[in-house]
Amino acid sequence: MATFLVRRLLQGVIVVVAAAIFVFVATRAVGDPVDFILPLSASEEQRENLRVELGFDRPMSEQFVDYAGDVARLDFGESTYLNDDALTVVFDYLPKTLQLVGFGMLISLVTSVPLGVLASRKPGGRLDKILTTASLTGLSMPQFFLGQVLVAVFITRLTWFDPGPGPWHKNLVLPAICMALPAVGRLAMTVRSAMIEELNSQYVKVARAKGMPARRVSGVHALRNAGIPFVTLYGWELIRALAGYTVVVETVFAWPGLGFVLIQGIKERDFYLVQASVFVVAVLVVVISIVIDLVYKALDPRVQLS
Amino acid sequence: MKRRIYGTLVVLALAGAACGGGDDEGDGAETAEATAEATAEATDDAATAEATDTAATAEATGEGLTIALGSEPTSLDPHTVDDGGERAINDNIYETLLARDENGDLIPGLAADLPTQVDATTWEFTLREGVTFHDGTPFNADAVVASVDRIVRLVAETKTQNDGFFGSLTGATKVDDVTVQITTAEQDGVLPARMYWLKITAPGTESSDDLSEAPNGTGPFKFVERVTGSNIDLAANADYWGGAPSIGSVRFEFAEESATRLAGLSSGKYDLITNLAPQDTGQAPQVLTAQGQEHPNFILDVDEGITSDPNVRLALNLAVDKDAIVETLFGGFAVVDAGQHLSPSILGHNPDLTPFPYDPDEAKRLIEEAGVAGETIQLVGQAGRWLKDKELIEATASYWQEAGLNVQVESLEFGAYLDVLFDRENRADAIFVSSSNDILDPDRQLSTYYQAGGIGSSNSDQALSDLIDQGRQELDAAARDAIYQEAVKIAYDGAYFVWTVNNEDVYGASERLVWTPRVDSKLLVKDMSLS
Repeated sequence: MATFLVRRLLQGVIVVVAAAIFVFVATRAVGDPVDFILPLSASEEQRENLRVELGFDRPMSEQFVDYAGDVARLDFGESTYLNDDALTVVFDYLPKTLQLVGFGMLISLVTSVPLGVLASRKPGGRLDKILTTASLTGLSMPQFFLGQVLVAVFITRLTWFDPGPGPWHKNLVLPAICMALPAVGRLAMTVRSAMIEELNSQYVKVARAKGMPARRVSGVHALRNAGIPFVTLYGWELIRALAGYTVVVETVFAWPGLGFVLIQGIKERDFYLVQASVFVVAVLVVVISIVIDLVYKALDPRVQLS
Repeated sequence: MKRRIYGTLVVLALAGAACGGGDDEGDGAETAEATAEATAEATDDAATAEATDTAATAEATGEGLTIALGSEPTSLDPHTVDDGGERAINDNIYETLLARDENGDLIPGLAADLPTQVDATTWEFTLREGVTFHDGTPFNADAVVASVDRIVRLVAETKTQNDGFFGSLTGATKVDDVTVQITTAEQDGVLPARMYWLKITAPGTESSDDLSEAPNGTGPFKFVERVTGSNIDLAANADYWGGAPSIGSVRFEFAEESATRLAGLSSGKYDLITNLAPQDTGQAPQVLTAQGQEHPNFILDVDEGITSDPNVRLALNLAVDKDAIVETLFGGFAVVDAGQHLSPSILGHNPDLTPFPYDPDEAKRLIEEAGVAGETIQLVGQAGRWLKDKELIEATASYWQEAGLNVQVESLEFGAYLDVLFDRENRADAIFVSSSNDILDPDRQLSTYYQAGGIGSSNSDQALSDLIDQGRQELDAAARDAIYQEAVKIAYDGAYFVWTVNNEDVYGASERLVWTPRVDSKLLVKDMSLS
């Protein structure tokens, strides 16, 4: 167990370092933020001055050495867009993202499992067809589209919810649903197929033959085993939600999380904010993936963590 | 047993969410707390015992409203950033020596009167008496000196994005408590307009690099708190020298998407939203407009290439159906541009210029006569930065195509686009740009786009350039007006640009909001009320 953790943490460090290097290269590939910081009417001299002040006139290798040293000290510099310490900005916005992801993933959990189990009862039956179609619809709808539909129907027309920050029942429910829907589709389908497979396996047949009630067979034995692929996918969904969906969902619903500010940072070429965000999200992803492995182990004692 | 396994899954998922720190409970509480905190904070602060009174009075006298902006302020420092979000907030907290009336004319603000000239580079302001900052500090000549010294230092140390506005200032001297002299490096006719832009901060701020934490102005609203990303709250200043505002408190929120702002307006969360998209105006409970300063146009290369022929430039203007653009692209929320970058609210606007008519036949004839029919014209643009920019570029390109040219449209990413706009060596045939003017002084736009060597200019007209220099140095407003009118006429006669429309600023408002938007786009909450 200890060896496992140490190894995973080392791997995690490598992942984070790789992400930090990647984001440095990716941001520099698009030029520098000077034109975005200064107004259109600024003179070429003013632009050059700022470029020198921010160090963007120096060779890339020098910039990288400085950057590496700063990252090692967790110093991500001053956000050029929000004029505050970049890491502070990230931690200011992160809680809202975690609320959104947490709530969204909770919704996908409590809906996808029962839906998948119901669909697996009678594969090819009417209920299965309806649920499968619904799941496919959910998972194939792009989130920017789904989000705008939800905004137009539930906020603009029905006025049941509000955009922006606010109490959870008015402001968080809708973006969380938008966040959850595609995941619900994929997760429910996984539960369904895993359950069908388990229900056809030898041990289930034996259990049935012994006269165990169907409810108990599927609810206890099959579901537990079906939980293994589910957890893998759930972890993957959690990571995708945190590192990807938040940008779209938060922008569409004006939910002020990290994605909401990151998109502005990218638009304004705020390298420092982008670097700090990617770093923090990379750390979170590593932590989540370790936790998922531990859960995996708990569900299936046969799994060897070393 | 089934329940147990299911329970286990739930717990594990929660653990997953919690390891990211997810906390749904906190959310509702947090927003509810915001107001409570605001009051608590005011009470905590001994120095602002009076602020508590204000908050209490405010609650008793005026209702609160919520405004949704398109972007969050990048800072709340009144001098360091050039940012619409910052201005929307700070225009309510801070004041300037001069203000503008509803027509855009300069009027006294914190100054008791318009400035007088001592000599060519020195202006004297007499200050309003009996004004105090929100923290109780009296407003006087020391405050003006501190503000001017601060901006001069920030410009010198390149710590501000506003050097374009204040680069000409050299300092300020106190004559007595209510008299102050401001000096400029050269003769500067723009100075009064600059003093409409320079927010006055309290004495002692001159050495500070960052005033964003605790905004302290003399304006009709006091800063209460900022929850980063979420909201900024202000409360009415009951002691405001111009009389307590009718609105008791105001909350600013931020939503980048126009549809999202509209949704919040429909759901009743917002009372006012900025930049309502033309296609959404039908859905807003109330639409408010003002003729703004935005002039999307095409800069033509006057010196070289296909556009160096004045008849071709004229043809490019005649080819475009501006009325159709106003109606179809902007839903009627724009007027046809009268061939100049200056709106009627700006000094130098030439009322004698009329829009180029839509005459496709004449355009085609001119193109053929010039012998360039079928030739390629390069049109460089940027999509997504300005309202309907992509559509406007495409529409114009197709009009030019109809006039007999082969239009080659290059829609670039913003950075690449700026490289073209700023390229002094090779000017593109036509560059799309949306020119705006925050400070409402003509020098801003003319020296950028009209004057030879200006960052976005494509001509080498020396007479025009001389006029613009002359206008900048002229100290008498009426004389300046005449000079600029002449300057814009030169560019009009030579068709140096293709002008399209002058956009209106469009706001969506709740039924209960009473407000007339301003030509300078300032969101002054003191002018608003609720019915």
